[in-house]
Amino acid sequence: MADVPAARLEGGLWCHEVLERLDAYVDGSLPSDQRAAIEAHLAACDQCERFGGAYALLVGALRRGLGAARPLGSERARRLERHLQRILEES
Amino acid sequence: MLRATATGDREAFTQLVGSTRDGVWRLIRNLTSDPAAAEDVLQETYVAVWRSASTYRGEGSARAWIHGLARRLSARSWRRRAGEPSTLVPLQELGAQAGWGRDPEELTAALEDRQLLASALEQLAPHDRQILVLCDLEGLSGPEAGALLDLTPSAARVRLHRARLRLMAQLRGGSDG
Repeated sequence: MADVPAARLEGGLWCHEVLERLDAYVDGSLPSDQRAAIEAHLAACDQCERFGGAYALLVGALRRGLGAARPLGSERARRLERHLQRILEES
Repeated sequence: MLRATATGDREAFTQLVGSTRDGVWRLIRNLTSDPAAAEDVLQETYVAVWRSASTYRGEGSARAWIHGLARRLSARSWRRRAGEPSTLVPLQELGAQAGWGRDPEELTAALEDRQLLASALEQLAPHDRQILVLCDLEGLSGPEAGALLDLTPSAARVRLHRARLRLMAQLRGGSDG
């Protein structure tokens, strides 16, 4: 079991409350008052600021895509072509 | 090409397959960890394109329409294979596994490596990978992803957050590194 970091109260929020809302904060879907509270917490809490930064980096990396990592390959393309040829002949 | 396919134009269909298959494969492969199952879904997708092209109403691009078919057929494939989340790990523990309260340097370095990220994504449980691919790679909204996964919008949002934390833990090299 991983150690849960020490809790701090900053900007009116505990660290675990920031963790709970981090997704909505990074996705930009929080109301402005909650967003401001998280920003106040992040400004004062180094562990949450660093973790939030890594979380945002992860989301950014996923959104940039993993396209090149998944080539179709010529063999699979040939199998698709053969399969579709059979379907066309049947129709 | 999709409109021509709808009229039974086989040449247009062949061209449509050739021009879209790489992107469709990436989508399906990211959604489906088993390559053989993903290949089945790829073939089913293009059979469905051929048979149902006449239902395309011209709303959005042909590519988007085909990707929508691929997502729905992938979802059907997951349901056949089952696999729902088992025990619910407390969010704070998931956060700690993901590196909350630790130096994120190792994690940020891993994020630069697309192969490493793809590999970590593949090692996640299906329910985690699916929500990440639908929302973060494919850009679906929470409610859109929830509809495909039979989840309410709020359940989809919770699942997405937990899946991102599990991916961070995976990138750190395990659950308690």
